[in-house]
Amino acid sequence: MTVVIHWEAFFQVLGAALVGTLVVVGFYALGLRMLVRAGRVPVVTPAEFTDAITVISEKEAKRAAKAAAKAARKSPLSDGQKTLAQIAAYACFAVCAAAVLGGIVLIVVK
Amino acid sequence: METAALIVVLVILLALFFDFTNGFHDTANAMATPIATGALKPRTAVMLAAGLNLVGAFLSTEVAATVSGGIIQEDSSTAHLMPSLIFAGLIGAITWNMLTWLLGLPSSSSHALFGGLIGATLVGVGLSGINFGVVLSKVVLPALIAPLTAGLIAYLATKLAYLITRRYDGKPDGRSGFRWGQIFTSSLVALAHGTNDAQKTMGVITLALISVGWQAQGDHQPHIYVIVACAFTIALGTYLGGWRIIRTLGKGLTDVKPAQGFAAETSTAATILASSALGFALSTTQVASGSVIGSGLGRRGSAVRWRTVGRIAVGWVLTLPAAGLVGALAAFIVVVGGGWGVLIDAVLALAVIVALFLRSRRNAVTANNAFSEVADSGRAIEVPEEPPLTPRQARAQRARERAKAKEKGTGR
Repeated sequence: MTVVIHWEAFFQVLGAALVGTLVVVGFYALGLRMLVRAGRVPVVTPAEFTDAITVISEKEAKRAAKAAAKAARKSPLSDGQKTLAQIAAYACFAVCAAAVLGGIVLIVVK
Repeated sequence: METAALIVVLVILLALFFDFTNGFHDTANAMATPIATGALKPRTAVMLAAGLNLVGAFLSTEVAATVSGGIIQEDSSTAHLMPSLIFAGLIGAITWNMLTWLLGLPSSSSHALFGGLIGATLVGVGLSGINFGVVLSKVVLPALIAPLTAGLIAYLATKLAYLITRRYDGKPDGRSGFRWGQIFTSSLVALAHGTNDAQKTMGVITLALISVGWQAQGDHQPHIYVIVACAFTIALGTYLGGWRIIRTLGKGLTDVKPAQGFAAETSTAATILASSALGFALSTTQVASGSVIGSGLGRRGSAVRWRTVGRIAVGWVLTLPAAGLVGALAAFIVVVGGGWGVLIDAVLALAVIVALFLRSRRNAVTANNAFSEVADSGRAIEVPEEPPLTPRQARAQRARERAKAKEKGTGR
């Protein structure tokens, strides 16, 4: 009995997962960066919960939002540039969504 | 023939029970990070995980085909033994799972399942019953390689996420926005879980159906009603398991930052989905653990706690042979005792299930048994509160200090 191992399959998994992950994470991070550039800093307070983790208090969240607004006011970008950055941000998020959907379609079709 | 039919019914029941406990146990894997970083409310997280497990189970049946068609070689001379051997294998898997829960050892339900099946087949049929090529290339090697793959990818992704969002001017970096992203990535993990873990039970049931002749020999794809049954069982297990975890959550959590959690989950989901597509039957727990460790290492100044890593690794390596041993023992009883052996096994299985049920009813739930090994593996990485500066940050700080010193000098 010969044991045949398809090593290339492991490289396929590594390659596909690596490309998929880096595209999703990279573009999501880029999208966030663009949002910040557009002066719309995301301040997301954690949902209710829990005792074990550092949860941002309401006060801290307000402070963060204020700092974000201040940073946005100081931004030397013109309105047009900000709009552009915002569009770019949404485009990045769209790329993420497309990558995820594309990956799932590939699996289902196969 | 009637006993065979009875045994197949028992196999299906036991397999579905296994499916249920799998979902029950693994909710934490998918939903630990978003709950820990506060991306999702626990109630929403659990509902989402259950729903997506259900969907995932329908997406791909490659893994089911691996289990039903590749691992065990069908041979007409031993076909009559097969249903009781599968039964014995399941008992091995469930017993080992329960033992590890009671002892708080890290383990993998999937490997327990394979270990039990292989052990039982080895005793009942002998070496010729196992297709070692498939076992090696679709179970053992993926078990070793996939967590490393996921860890490497998570490491790179975490680095990338931090690199892109890092700012040197002290303005807000927007990393809190990764919390939104985590809602999607954790959903993907739940979906991936369905494409891999639900499949294993489908594979086992299909194997039993084939062995008793209720499904054609060459046809290894699970029937639609098998898919539906397994999908709903794992979703139900996920849903119910979640409540138990929520009740005890907050004790075993590690420090996971949103950006890191996002990267880790994307890597987990991508690795599992890619593997499912190729029919690799992996342990989703181990892949998720690999990602959490890798992403922890991606944070600056982090260090590995080798003792914790070692403990986790030993549990992983032990699972396959240990479950195999229990499965072999159960199979031995069947081979020696025939119909009576199956009865003895059934009684033992019932005892194990009842013990498991009683155990789950008990309120003394600790971080060890309620929270997943994934959270445990997070503790394998030590991350300092104040990470060391990047070269550019260090340069900026030196420049600031110089400017300050200069100011002081002129002011005097």
